Amino acid sequence: MDKILIAFAAALAIGLPALATAWAQSKIGAAGAGSLAEKPELSGTIIILVAIPETMVILGFVVAVIILLGG
Amino acid sequence: MSKVEIVGPRQLLGETLSLVRKKGNLHIEPSAVGFVDDIHKREIHSLLPDEKALFEKIFLQELENKLNNLFQCLPGETFRESFLSPRPIIDTVSRTLDDHLAMCQALCEKREAIQHDLLEFSGYKVFLATVSTLLDKIQLTPDLDYIGITLKDEKSVDILKGSLNCLADASCELLTIASEDGALVGLIAATKDSSGDIRSLLSQKKMPEFTFPESIQNMTFVRKVEYLQGQIQESEANLQAVDTNLAQFAQRWGPMYKAALAWVREQLSIIQASAFSFETAMCFFIYGWMPAEKVASLSGALQKNFAGRVVLEEIDIRTEDLERVPVVLQNPQYFKPFENFTRLLPLPSYTSYDPTLFIGLFFPLFFGLILGDTGYGLILLFLSSLATRLVRKNPLFQDGARILRFCSLYAIVFGFLYGEFFGDFGHTVLGMKPVFIDRQKNIIPMLYFAMAIGLAHVTLGLALGFVSALRRHTKKEALVKLLHIIFIFLIVALIITFIGFFPELLTRPLIISILILCPLLLFSGGLLAPLELLKNIGNIISYARIMAIGLTSVLLANIANQLSGLTGDIILGLIVGGIIHLIGITIGVFSSSIHSLRLHYVEFFDKFIELGGRKYRPFSSNQKNEAEKDIPQQDSEPHDKLHGSPNK
Repeated sequence: MDKILIAFAAALAIGLPALATAWAQSKIGAAGAGSLAEKPELSGTIIILVAIPETMVILGFVVAVIILLGG
Repeated sequence: MSKVEIVGPRQLLGETLSLVRKKGNLHIEPSAVGFVDDIHKREIHSLLPDEKALFEKIFLQELENKLNNLFQCLPGETFRESFLSPRPIIDTVSRTLDDHLAMCQALCEKREAIQHDLLEFSGYKVFLATVSTLLDKIQLTPDLDYIGITLKDEKSVDILKGSLNCLADASCELLTIASEDGALVGLIAATKDSSGDIRSLLSQKKMPEFTFPESIQNMTFVRKVEYLQGQIQESEANLQAVDTNLAQFAQRWGPMYKAALAWVREQLSIIQASAFSFETAMCFFIYGWMPAEKVASLSGALQKNFAGRVVLEEIDIRTEDLERVPVVLQNPQYFKPFENFTRLLPLPSYTSYDPTLFIGLFFPLFFGLILGDTGYGLILLFLSSLATRLVRKNPLFQDGARILRFCSLYAIVFGFLYGEFFGDFGHTVLGMKPVFIDRQKNIIPMLYFAMAIGLAHVTLGLALGFVSALRRHTKKEALVKLLHIIFIFLIVALIITFIGFFPELLTRPLIISILILCPLLLFSGGLLAPLELLKNIGNIISYARIMAIGLTSVLLANIANQLSGLTGDIILGLIVGGIIHLIGITIGVFSSSIHSLRLHYVEFFDKFIELGGRKYRPFSSNQKNEAEKDIPQQDSEPHDKLHGSPNK
């Protein structure tokens, strides 16, 4: 039972931030694509903006690894 | 970058600007703010063009438009250099240009009309060519009617033959032949009595007769074919004649008009640049910026050409000028390709660092750390070498290939350190062993390693920010940066103590140190300072992606190996493994690049890079000969060039 709970916790730790990141990136990406059509010189800024939410899923991954291996 | 002032007698302004343009180093400053002292502001004012200059500008603009229109009509070939100097003959050029332009435009219009006709005829061309061969084979008689059709395939021919009852009594005949485009062209020869029935039958069978233009409907089939073929031949001959005329004209007159256009553009750019000059009752002044190493060259040229009557002087750059100094990216050969990544961001300010150096150093390193596979690295090295040799003309592609080559070398080195060659293939088949760490099994140590890299990188960024703040004499900001560095080290030491690598005895002094420094941080950085500190710690944790993405890359490679093994067949296994490894390499290159860049843009640069620099745009003849582009318009302050913007 413990193993199941640990696995479930790890899945939640990576799954929820992954969904959140995907949602945030979809919004930023769509807006960014619109901005790029008008101002191509903003490409660097848009890459940064799209990349920012990725930290969530990376942190989720770290937590999941710690739960699975360090727990 | 040097701040310079060029001074000379007013009548030499045009010649001076011409020389400056030829040297192509001076970024002309349209505003005199920061160049003219308050006591001299009343004596120096913007140069206003007189009536003669305005007429000259209008004349040159009209001439430029006409020349542009002329070159739009001429074939896009490279012209030889003209032996004539355009300046003495510009009046003659202006007079002949009208006639030549009218002639060329008439030829262009004629060309367009012929091309339009040929486009319309293109739909008939294949049919006509094919049906002509059929007509040549048969004996033409005026008693027969001919019907042309296009058939899809042999099956359609059989259906048609079965339906044509007249074939039985020999009152009609069907001939078919394959055309150039693969379709079958059919010709039905029938007596005039039965031709009407055949047409109805074709319509019922949805095999319509080939239609000719409406204007020639009254002609017989054979006449239609001959007429259209004649029209096509005539149009092609006419087109060739027009092209020959234009080519001959371009060969004869093109070089002279090209030289005239270059001269006109130079004169226009000089007139445009003179609007950014300043004058007193006797002298002109040009203010601007140029690379320090080029100052002596321009100064010497001015001295030589004007015998000391025009002088270039370097002026001290003051603190308030620093925001206005234009920026140019200049890096050694190795770092040049990485300037493409820097250009994705706004330019750094003059007082800040050029990010290219750091991207050039760390981007391939992070790429190698993430991808880290000897086999993948070798493939990428081969592809980058191939790309460098195959696509020589595209500089952006060449830069990309060079970056990929550096990255692939790092991937090979780290692949060797991780003991990876196409995932675990190197270990299981070739007996490779990890020299540094096996990142598939040692996930937690690899996580610590990635974070350690993050700690070093972020701390370097903060240290550079500290130095940058000291250089700008913003002591408070420097103190905040320094405190962040100390806090980060204290927190990291505390975490290591909790993990058990440091003696537990250190816990209390570390916590006390943090508590003591907290008020100092709040005092120097304000209420947002703790949040900034948390952001920095988050930035360090973000480097865990080096481990995370690297791990997914190696797991994908292992899956490729396992699946290819499961096939139980060498060839099929190679195909399956090859495809999945190819996907792995593509994803690996893409994600490694994006995440390495992100670590620079988001985590590293915001610690010390100040963006918002002005682009260095020298007044030069090398730029696309558009007078407007030659001049640094982006900084124009038309309201009051001498006293600055009213908002300041």
